[in-house]
Amino acid sequence: MAVREVRDPAEAARTPAALGDELGWRRPKPIAVVALLVAAVALPVVWRNDYVIDVALTGLIWMILNQSWNLQLGIGGIWNFGQLAIFAVGGYVSALIAIHWGLPPWLSMIAGGLGAAAMSAVIGIPVLRLRGIYASLLTFSFGEVVRLLVISDESGLTGGSFGLSGVPELAFDGWSPDARQRAYYWLALALVVATAVVIYVFINSPLGTALKALRDAPAYAASRGVSPLKMQVITFATSAFIAGIAGGFYAHYFGVIAPSVMGLGPMSLFVAMLVVGGLGTFWGPILGTAVILAVSEYLRDYDELRLIIVGLILLVTIVVAPRGLVPALQDGWRRLQRWMAEDEAEREEGSTT
Amino acid sequence: MASFLQAIVSGLVTGSIYALMTVGMTLIYGTLRTLNMAHGSMVMVGGYVSWMLFDSLGWGPLAGLVAASLVAFLFGILIQQVAVRPLIGKLGVDFEMTAFISTFAVTIVLSNLALRIYGARNKAVPPVIHGRLHLIEGVSVSWHSLVMAGVAVTMLLALGAFLSKTRYGLGITAVAQQLDAARLMGIPDQRVYNLTMGVSSALAAIAGVLLASVFFVSPNAGDLPLLKALIVAIFGGLGSIRGTILSAYIIGLLEALISTYFGVRWSLPLLFVVIMVVMLIRPTGLLGKPEEARL
Repeated sequence: MAVREVRDPAEAARTPAALGDELGWRRPKPIAVVALLVAAVALPVVWRNDYVIDVALTGLIWMILNQSWNLQLGIGGIWNFGQLAIFAVGGYVSALIAIHWGLPPWLSMIAGGLGAAAMSAVIGIPVLRLRGIYASLLTFSFGEVVRLLVISDESGLTGGSFGLSGVPELAFDGWSPDARQRAYYWLALALVVATAVVIYVFINSPLGTALKALRDAPAYAASRGVSPLKMQVITFATSAFIAGIAGGFYAHYFGVIAPSVMGLGPMSLFVAMLVVGGLGTFWGPILGTAVILAVSEYLRDYDELRLIIVGLILLVTIVVAPRGLVPALQDGWRRLQRWMAEDEAEREEGSTT
Repeated sequence: MASFLQAIVSGLVTGSIYALMTVGMTLIYGTLRTLNMAHGSMVMVGGYVSWMLFDSLGWGPLAGLVAASLVAFLFGILIQQVAVRPLIGKLGVDFEMTAFISTFAVTIVLSNLALRIYGARNKAVPPVIHGRLHLIEGVSVSWHSLVMAGVAVTMLLALGAFLSKTRYGLGITAVAQQLDAARLMGIPDQRVYNLTMGVSSALAAIAGVLLASVFFVSPNAGDLPLLKALIVAIFGGLGSIRGTILSAYIIGLLEALISTYFGVRWSLPLLFVVIMVVMLIRPTGLLGKPEEARL
């Protein structure tokens, strides 16, 4: 159940600002969401540009990953900075199973998700005992260890630093390149929507309330019967499963997965997306991914400058609006509403006297 | 036996340099409650300063040590003013988290700036002294490593004296122990923060100069030192200088032994397993103080 703010009913009925608050912006407006979805679905048909669709597709995969990361980092308050390694593990497991055991990629993607969840249990259990900063250290170094292990792998299993290539197609063998790309795009979009639904349900369920309570007041939540252990295991498993699926999809779409998806460079992009959008908000990772992707595409001709600017955007955001764009926009909207309401009230007063 | 002794010798050298790299990080955490993700970049900055002096003026690494520590001192204050100070006391967000992210952003900017200015090619810096010292049959150590260990130990001793004997050092210690009491005693906290960031960054840059001639200088020269410093810092317990130095030597020795007997490839993964086990038993590291009761 979503927790609603308790208001004085008389006041709520009186001011349009409060009414506007109640009506809309705080919960996703159905019309806006449907419009956004229609636009997203129509994109590859309307804008027939391979490059654009490819960028959008990559963005969708990142959106899945960022949503899963946000569940831990933002909503759960668990400082996991090894999510990229979990993503990569999902990709590698899925790719290896599809290559060596010949399992259909649909199944191997799920196996990738399960593999990622298992991996996250390995890292998750020690993290359960750690608080804040220590958890971030451990998970960050875990990610680096996974990356360096893959890079230095000479057994040929993972392909080392060149990556694992020849990952089989999902299901679109023999389709024309255009149709294939569009099919992948819509599939990725479906995955994004599915992830969003899962996360929306999760954070608005008693589970989500318990998770937020644990983040904001661990001692109180625990004393009211919320088990930190159980909650963190559930969160880790859900988040890692989603990230693993995203990794599997990535591997099957691009046909290759390499250790370059991990490391400080990619991590800076993803952290920027999460923070700029707004950690711990439902729309944050979605908006953040879109914004940073747009910036980095706009600057794609200026290699290093791109990351310098992304870094600066991250720095400015964290200093000026540390909670990110989504809460900042919500605040601005609410202030605008209140201002309009005051204006209206003044005019009414003027007309009566 | 010779290979064991060789591992011990190189472990001690690595341990000293790890201690030098990490002690700043733990000092910053102790006073500012900030995990400085830009610490690795200071290692890189040190390397580049030393390379620039060598490349344009032909000066050796010893001049580099002085110049690099001065430059990094200023960088440290800049990071404090730009990325950490505005976050102190912000309501509604977790300071440790925002400071972690803002210093991470600084790392992104600095390493890509280095890439833009200097390019991706590795830059070589000559060692302080060439040649190797043969201790006994089959055990040897390069003179440069000895200088490295010597400088590191000297700097650590100097830091210890600074923190316990001088007015400014005592100010840092006081703020680290009890911020409110320190303020009430008239210690200017902002100046202490600047000093801490400056000194810590200078120490990292000194490590960077020393490492520059072992490895090369490149825009991501700070990544591995950052990772190692993080591992050493968690293992020793954040905020505890003694714990950090102890853990730096333990990790240096472990790493050398693992690479001797299992191969370099396994040194980091095995080390990680060891650390995970230690963290399971002692969640705040060897000598770290528990922050709050666990649930």
